[in-house]
Amino acid sequence: MIDNKTFMIAGLVIAIIIGGLAVFLASGDPDGLESTALFVQGDKTLTGPSPEDGDPEAIGAGTFEYEAPLPDYSTGEEGGKAGEILAVFAGIVIMFILGFGATKLVASKKTT
Amino acid sequence: MHIPDAFIPLWQSAIYWIVALIFIALALRWAKNELSEDKIPLIAVLAAGIFAIQAFNLPVAMGTSGHLVGGALAAIVLGSPYAAVFILTLVLIIQGIIFGDGGITTMGVNILNMGVIGGFVGYYGYTGLKSAGANIYLSAGIAAWCACFVASLAAAVEMAVAGTFPLVPGLIAMGTYHAAIGIIEGIITGAIIYFLVTSRPDLLAEEVQQPSAGGVSA
Repeated sequence: MIDNKTFMIAGLVIAIIIGGLAVFLASGDPDGLESTALFVQGDKTLTGPSPEDGDPEAIGAGTFEYEAPLPDYSTGEEGGKAGEILAVFAGIVIMFILGFGATKLVASKKTT
Repeated sequence: MHIPDAFIPLWQSAIYWIVALIFIALALRWAKNELSEDKIPLIAVLAAGIFAIQAFNLPVAMGTSGHLVGGALAAIVLGSPYAAVFILTLVLIIQGIIFGDGGITTMGVNILNMGVIGGFVGYYGYTGLKSAGANIYLSAGIAAWCACFVASLAAAVEMAVAGTFPLVPGLIAMGTYHAAIGIIEGIITGAIIYFLVTSRPDLLAEEVQQPSAGGVSA
């Protein structure tokens, strides 16, 4: 059995490897919700390929706009793959710190 | 399955947010009462790991890709559906605010689908299958598939209520794609639980610590 420190370092390293691989290997096909949007818009058949230039969000009413600082896990178009790696890496580290901090905060308020 | 802002009218998003906030409050109460500091490493690693795997879309044919959601995984390893609400809420906040994956107004409905529905279906599916005598990894895998599938049907109904997708085609397409994506959810959930049982069984909920073929003691 490995100790806490090794477990956390190993977990973080594995997460970073997965995130790094995702930048290069993740499928560019739309996800299930986006494919459904393309299907109900008539841009794709149920089991056929998705169009390269399909816009799944075209079906939405667009009542609220928000510009994320690192849209689609990237630093913008000029950032390229390096920007994507940086964005995913930042996200993983933020999640680790947030998971650690939030649990520490609530666990320290334990009533028993 | 991350619903963007444009897909749900604001007033409906507000209702989902209210329901999500109730479950978030319950999850915080669970965390305060049940979480001890020795769970910190597991939750930190789960939060980072779920985020990383969610960035990794795998092809599932039919011009579609999908990734692990992780609600069933979190609920099973921590022994409560509220663990899924707790962790997925953290993940969805960061994904929505920093990466624009899933909307801000629709964050409530996303928490509801992936955290609440994913967590409850995953947890009770797992405990039900396991008490029926199934192996823990198989139980976890099937429960995770169900969590993905049921959450996608819920999203299809929400889309129909919103007027974004017609009900029946939406249910058919969401169900078809997520039946395939759920296989990813099932395999990865089972595999991660196997690795956790092998590396740190003491961090896991009692429901996952029962002796299996590997002889892990509770």
